[in-house]
Amino acid sequence: MGLITFLQQHMLPCPAKALLHIECPGCGMQRSLICLLQGDVSKSLHYHPATIPMLLLIGFLPFHLKYKFTKGGNIIVFLQLVVAIITVAFYIYKVYNHKIF
Amino acid sequence: MLFIFTKSIITKSSEITENQQGNTNIFGDGHRESLPNATAVLVLGIISIATCWCYGVIGTACGIIALVLARKDFSRYHLEPLRYSVSSYNNLKAGRICAIIGTILSALYLVIIIVAIAVIGVAGLSHPDQMFRHYQSY
Repeated sequence: MGLITFLQQHMLPCPAKALLHIECPGCGMQRSLICLLQGDVSKSLHYHPATIPMLLLIGFLPFHLKYKFTKGGNIIVFLQLVVAIITVAFYIYKVYNHKIF
Repeated sequence: MLFIFTKSIITKSSEITENQQGNTNIFGDGHRESLPNATAVLVLGIISIATCWCYGVIGTACGIIALVLARKDFSRYHLEPLRYSVSSYNNLKAGRICAIIGTILSALYLVIIIVAIAVIGVAGLSHPDQMFRHYQSY
């Protein structure tokens, strides 16, 4: 629990949100990560749905570089595409529903 | 009998060593060297999409660096395809696709930020409530 409270007290402010008052495509990822650490998957998906595939991507990369899976490159490209599509779709959803301010 | 047996073992082992020198050995591509920038291209391609929160500047820079490195390594691989390992070539291809995706997204976000500043202005963006009131008065 110490890690979660530490993260809650030391959240990085988004530079785009601080200066331009417009949320960026990655806004909500820290809240989503904290909710995921607390075990609340639905709230995590509500804040940012691309956190789980992004964590999978970043976690899979060192294993692929260490053990050199034969189809590892294809898995990385697939996860990258999933992250990109979910991020873009979620940002369009936020713009359309006036949630970016 | 024993002499023939040892001779066959010696010939087999010598065949294997010849194959190893000819880069077509039975142990996969373990003896080929990996491309020098394949890992860097893969990591930079993933960083380019993970850092979408900084106006897209870091993402665009990392993606373009990854694309330049990938282009160099592609020319290096096509000059001597037998010298480099297949796994690093697959890494390079995957990293290039990741870098293309990340660069396009980051550049799009950078363009959106620039257009927002050009159209609305920093003053309007830093006081969104007053801006909304201003536009609602029309």
